[in-house]
Amino acid sequence: MSEQAIEVKNLTFEYPDTEEPVLKNINFTIDYGEILGIIGPTGAGKSTLAMCVNGLVPQVIQGEIEGEIYVKGMNVHESDVAAMSEHVGFVFQEPENQLSQMTIEEEIAFGMGNLGVPRDEMLVRIKDALSQVGLEGFEERSPLALSGGQQQRLAIAAVLAMRPTIMIMDEPTSMLDPKGKNEVYDVLKNLKAYGMTGIIIDHEVERIAAYCDKVLVLDEGEVKMFGTTEEVFTEIDRLHELTLHAPQVTEFLSQYNRTFHKNAALATTIEKAVRSYESANK
Amino acid sequence: MNSLYLPKDSLIHSLDPRTKMIFVAFVVASSFIMNDPALQLLLLVSLFPLVVIAKLVKPYLISIQFLLLFAVLIMTVHGIYNPIGVTPVFEIFGGLTFKYESMVYASVMSFRILVIGTGAVLFVMTTHPSDMASALVKWKVPHSFAFILLSTFQIIPIIAREAKIVMEAQQARCLDVKGNIIQRVKNLVPMFAPLFIITFMKVHQLSYVLECRAFSRKGNKTSLRETNIGSLDYSFLLGMLAVLVFEIYLKLFMMGSFQWTTDALLTYSLIGTWVVCGFMLVKFLVKRFQGKFGGVN
Repeated sequence: MSEQAIEVKNLTFEYPDTEEPVLKNINFTIDYGEILGIIGPTGAGKSTLAMCVNGLVPQVIQGEIEGEIYVKGMNVHESDVAAMSEHVGFVFQEPENQLSQMTIEEEIAFGMGNLGVPRDEMLVRIKDALSQVGLEGFEERSPLALSGGQQQRLAIAAVLAMRPTIMIMDEPTSMLDPKGKNEVYDVLKNLKAYGMTGIIIDHEVERIAAYCDKVLVLDEGEVKMFGTTEEVFTEIDRLHELTLHAPQVTEFLSQYNRTFHKNAALATTIEKAVRSYESANK
Repeated sequence: MNSLYLPKDSLIHSLDPRTKMIFVAFVVASSFIMNDPALQLLLLVSLFPLVVIAKLVKPYLISIQFLLLFAVLIMTVHGIYNPIGVTPVFEIFGGLTFKYESMVYASVMSFRILVIGTGAVLFVMTTHPSDMASALVKWKVPHSFAFILLSTFQIIPIIAREAKIVMEAQQARCLDVKGNIIQRVKNLVPMFAPLFIITFMKVHQLSYVLECRAFSRKGNKTSLRETNIGSLDYSFLLGMLAVLVFEIYLKLFMMGSFQWTTDALLTYSLIGTWVVCGFMLVKFLVKRFQGKFGGVN
């Protein structure tokens, strides 16, 4: 069996101040180049799960952990977060809290400096990272002078410059306006084209359906559903039971089938849905 | 930019931050070695060409105004009331006498403030904070300490903005910010409690981010900003050393042989600071006046 990018086995985690584990017996794998979307209601343990993957939990955020996590074949618990950061990049929810330097180029150089990347290499990588997120020409500006969307793209660039193979994003767009969200997701699309492996936590199922290969539904610390985007989002009743919903086009087709007793195939993207609708109407 | 750094193209700007830190230490040391008003005035005047070289005359004069306020207060109050004074120099308003010894004491103290202030302003305005941090790291200062220094510049504007948000939110909940002084002091609690919590949460989050950016990784760290000690730095350092040696020589062997600190010098410097301060006051009043009646014309 070939080595997986991320492999989580029987993961159970409990915070010191809670009665019940926040994560219960979680199992999933992601192959290289795949993007996993994690959805679930607030408090389901999505962020905790993401932080387990790069070792923030339990090394920085303490708690009781059971089970094993392998990232690129390495056991996360035997490594530390700083060492893992060469392989796993993490983008947090709030853009502003992730910025600590005076100028944009220094912000990007910060992570690399900690990894001991030589200065010549840094300059090349800064240029690369800025062009990947579309912030060229901003090098000398203060990060605080940027808009929310730009700040989040900068945070992504800072992670990208460290050249991780795996990228985890914890609700990267929830603090942003629609324009900022589009900016961030455009960057994501780029990353996918580069063949990066990723985990994205987001509430917007439309985006998840459009960008992710696999979806994991988490509820009260348990994996309720896990599979390809199609598999998960076409089980609409199950999603509704978990107080979640499928992308609107899928919901539309489902409702259409039910109301007019049709049999249109459920689709998760607009293009496929249009075709499915058309063929059901014939 | 949140710091006081003013980017200019000058010799002083291109010096290594370490040289400039040594320079500040040198200025502080000199101001204590030259324990005499006349010599300190000389030091102050001789620092001024450096300000000119750094192309910072205007911002320097603006920032030194505030230190001058201290100088005026110290010189006036100490000159009259300091009990070490015995020899009267001159009298104002009939009963208030300035005495020689207390004037010397006050002048030394206030010139020292001005001299150290000048050195500090030169350093702060010509050194990029990131350069300072990376220079400190080269001096084997722990990386985390340099980071704390640097992130302070970054977090102050963020906290200021959060403070504004908290204040507006509390005002929207009927917090009276225009009441009497006791009421306002009481209101500090609902203002600062949320602000502290927000700040702690932000810092907490930042610590996770730093961990994810390999901050605690052991081994060599590199920096984007390069600081190098060049020939200019060496000549500057040598110059400082020469001046320092001369100062010590002066202090040890020549102190008794000249008497520049005369009544006239003390009086003129006191009156000088009064005049400058008076000028500042007039300027301030004119501005207030214009602000009040500017709309009419």
